[in-house]
Amino acid sequence: MAVAALFRFPLLLRRSLPSPSSPSYVTYYRRTVLSDGFSYRLRSFLRYSSSDGGGGGGGSSGNDLGGANDTGIVVSEVQIPNYLKFSDEELMKQCKFETFRVSGPGGQHRNKRDSAVRLKHLPTGIVAQAVEDRSQHKNRASALNRLRTLLAIKVRNKVDIDAYSPPPELLQILPPKSTIRTSSSGSQIGPNNAKFVPGMQALLDVISACDGSIADSAKLLGLSTGGLSRLILSHDGLRMAVNSMRAAKGMKPLK
Amino acid sequence: MIRIFPSSRFTSLLSAAKPLRSFACSSSPTREPPQCASFAEKKSSPASNSLSFTPKTPLFLRPPLHATPLSEVWKWHDWAKDLASSVEDSSTNSEDSLDSVVLLRELKWLIEDSIVDDDPVIHRREIGDDCEKSVKLRASLEELYDLWRQRIEKRRPFQYVVGCEHWRDLVVCVEEGVLIPRPETELIVEMVEELVTRDEWYKKGIWADLGTGSGAIAIGVAKVLGSRGKVIATDLSPVAIAVAGNNVQRYGLQGMVEVREGSWFEPLKDVEGKLVGLVSNPPYIPSGDIPGLQAEVGRHEPKLALDGGIDGTDSLLHLCHGASRMLKRGGFFVFETNGEKQSKMIVDYMTNDLKDTFSDLRIVSDFAGIDRFVSGFRL
Ligand SMILES: C[S@@+](CC[C@H](N)C(=O)[O-])C[C@H]1O[C@@H](n2cnc3c(N)ncnc32)[C@H](O)[C@@H]1O
Repeated sequence: MAVAALFRFPLLLRRSLPSPSSPSYVTYYRRTVLSDGFSYRLRSFLRYSSSDGGGGGGGSSGNDLGGANDTGIVVSEVQIPNYLKFSDEELMKQCKFETFRVSGPGGQHRNKRDSAVRLKHLPTGIVAQAVEDRSQHKNRASALNRLRTLLAIKVRNKVDIDAYSPPPELLQILPPKSTIRTSSSGSQIGPNNAKFVPGMQALLDVISACDGSIADSAKLLGLSTGGLSRLILSHDGLRMAVNSMRAAKGMKPLK
Repeated sequence: MIRIFPSSRFTSLLSAAKPLRSFACSSSPTREPPQCASFAEKKSSPASNSLSFTPKTPLFLRPPLHATPLSEVWKWHDWAKDLASSVEDSSTNSEDSLDSVVLLRELKWLIEDSIVDDDPVIHRREIGDDCEKSVKLRASLEELYDLWRQRIEKRRPFQYVVGCEHWRDLVVCVEEGVLIPRPETELIVEMVEELVTRDEWYKKGIWADLGTGSGAIAIGVAKVLGSRGKVIATDLSPVAIAVAGNNVQRYGLQGMVEVREGSWFEPLKDVEGKLVGLVSNPPYIPSGDIPGLQAEVGRHEPKLALDGGIDGTDSLLHLCHGASRMLKRGGFFVFETNGEKQSKMIVDYMTNDLKDTFSDLRIVSDFAGIDRFVSGFRL
């Protein structure tokens, strides 16, 4: 079903192999669907519920999802906006917000059993959910945070390695040892800080552009391979994203 | 001049203060502008009105007086978990059965509300060895056993067990006799917020929330109106009036929200034709559906809050008429309905029977996609 497909984690890799389901206008990136094992692990890391919570609501075939095709994969045309730059409000406007449709009339009939919410980002088809908080309002806020993490992990922006200049959000998450850091980069932002997410996206863009090579990426970022590995391993989502990227290239995972 | 918003010189003091246990506010039985004196003044002298009612203190606001050995708390926790896990398949009717996943989540929240510690020790059991340690509980262990049994055996709603519901960014006190605010209803506040952000005019006038129950909508609306907001919240139920008043006070909004007791528009005679906004989530369940309601709802929540008459629209139709009288030109209304058919019926009624009275009638669906609300403007 489409919902399950939406949880698969695509990576957009730089190749020009034809793909049977890829629309012809995609010229630069090719889509790769990652193994379900990965999506399952990441899903549980992000504490997603994989069920549709009672049918309905999620029955879309994916064809209405703008940038996503019916396998729910983010398809990038050459330039896509950097969604992480949008404010919460702007991002929310790009989303369809839903709760799980309960059977029956809802409202006064029902004492809510939970307030599971689902946020569907229409331009990419990425879905974020939250369920464990006591109010729907807070669940929506956590779903939005999760959406940001997912956007960072799933949407790859094109990077020109030959003329690479790292954005400030990336510099901020690099350890002090990095030789490309400047005094204006400030102190290092850790993985529990919300500002880590845009840096993580930029980092994944670099690693993706380097075809998953940690050594090449580290060189670009003024770090030792070990230093970059440690950074990657500090965030579960980041680690899994890098490892799937590497798995797709037949490389060993980082541990 | 309408004298409806008693300014309270205690406002700033109270907004920081803990909710008071005894509060009562009710209108005088005559129809003159109801006297709802500054809530603060009522704290020491119980209201003279015979209808006065003292809201309960929710668990999370009780003082942590019960030092309890951690090992005993664990014992209770294990027992509660077992009980929660054992409910599965107890009923074949899935809509009406308890669900252990949800119960376990509720158990976590119950602990959150009963233990003072921010990072409940109970979740860090592995640390071990500190069984001799004791924790401070806001209820005796005996009561916690009893509360959890009530939740499961009596199907008492979790929100009544702990005495509050998290709704939007609020924590609203609730108890038997007052409807537990539903997540769907949060959208009413959202719609008002959208409107007042677009058009400042709506921030300056008087709003009304009819059948306010716990006061959730009125408080939510007052907060989005900002400092100049004025909301009158009415209810027929004295329990609701007391609970709503208490919630208003907890949020330090007694200068902005006035609670009045009475049936629908009766307590609003002094503001006829003067409202810029009118919101309500009236009882809308068809009487015939009441016996089949989920146990938590049917057995525990007040019928007065649920039963909307034969087809559920008794109160809604009354509100439609009232809206035409009470709203200023350009005034906004939104009502929650039973959904689908009922929403259509209300819109039809307003278009045909109340011709040329309203504009921009809209049906708005809730987040589950049910056509839940009817909104519009007074011409
Ligand atoms: C469905 S509840 C809504 C409560 C609250 N507004 C909420 O959304 O949580 C309906 C409310 O209408 C009140 N009510 C019922 N009949 C009424 C009447 N004739 N006049 C005023 N309020 C009434 C009930 O006491 C109840 O609080």
